[in-house]
Amino acid sequence: MNEQLLAAVTQYGAPALFGIVSIAAVGVPLPITLLLIVVGSMVSQGAMDLWWALGAASTGAILGDQAGYAIGRWGGSAAVSKLSGLFGKKASLQAMEAKATAWGGPGIFVTRWLLSPLGPWINLASGTAGYPWHRFLFWDVLGEITGAAVYITLGRVFSDRVMALDGVLGDLTWAIAASIAAMILGYQLWARLRRAR
Amino acid sequence: MVIGLAFVLAIGGVLLFASRATRRARQFHTASEPIHGWMSIPFIAHTHHVPASVLFQAIGVQPRLPHDHRSVRHIARELNRPVPEVIAQLQRAIDAAAQPPGGAPR
Repeated sequence: MNEQLLAAVTQYGAPALFGIVSIAAVGVPLPITLLLIVVGSMVSQGAMDLWWALGAASTGAILGDQAGYAIGRWGGSAAVSKLSGLFGKKASLQAMEAKATAWGGPGIFVTRWLLSPLGPWINLASGTAGYPWHRFLFWDVLGEITGAAVYITLGRVFSDRVMALDGVLGDLTWAIAASIAAMILGYQLWARLRRAR
Repeated sequence: MVIGLAFVLAIGGVLLFASRATRRARQFHTASEPIHGWMSIPFIAHTHHVPASVLFQAIGVQPRLPHDHRSVRHIARELNRPVPEVIAQLQRAIDAAAQPPGGAPR
C-alpha cells in the first residue's frame, strides 16, 4: 500500500499529499517522513510548487490531528477504544494520557515532527485528558508547519538522496526516542535508589 | 527490577539506532539509490543524474507531454510487463550512462 500512496503523490501532487497526510495524522501508520522528503525532491525538480506542498502537508496533518483530538475529547469511550486499537496497543492510552498531561504544549509540538510516531497517541490522549483545545491547536499548528518545512527542505537540499536520507532520519528518530526513554527511566531508577538508601 | 531492565533496553536501543544512523550517514553520498515501483521516470532520472529521455528510450516508452509523472508500476502495467523487469532495464540504462563509451566507469 505504501508504494501506491507514494506513486499517487508523484503522479497527482498536492491533493494526494493532503489526503494521505490527513489519514496518517488520525493514526494510520504511513511513511510520512519519506513522503515529505519525496515531495521536497519533487519541489527541487520543479514537479510541485513549494507553497502548495507546504500548505497541503501542514493543513492535512492539522485536520487529521484535530480529528484525533475531537474523538478523544467528545467521541466517547467506544470511539476512543476503536481508534487506539488501530494504533496497536489499547492499554498504552492511559500511559500516553499521563504523558500528554505532563509534557503539555512542548510535548505536542515535538510529537508533530521529531517524535512523529507518538503523534496520533498524543492527539487522542490530549482529548481524553481534557487538554484545552485552543492550546492544543496552537502547538499543533506550530509543530505541523515546522515538520512540513523541515522535511520538505531536507528533501529539496538532498533531492537526489531521498532513500538514503529517509534511512538516516528513521534511525535518528528512534535513537532520540530511545534516549528520551533512557533519561526518564534513568531518573526513575535513580530516585528509587535514593529512596531505598 | 522492571525499570532497570527497561533502562538497559533503552540504552541498547540508543546504541543500536545511533550506530545504524552513523553507518548510513557515512554511506550517504556513496550508496546507490534503489529504484522503486512508485518512482516516476523523471524522479529516477534526477536521483541518478541521467536525462529522463535516456530512461524513457531504454524502456521503449514515449513520454507524455508536458510532464510524465506516471510511476514505474503504472508504466509496467500499461506495457503489460513485470515491474522488476522494467526496473532492471532502467538500472542497466543508468549503469550504461554512468560508463562513458570506451572509458572507465565514473
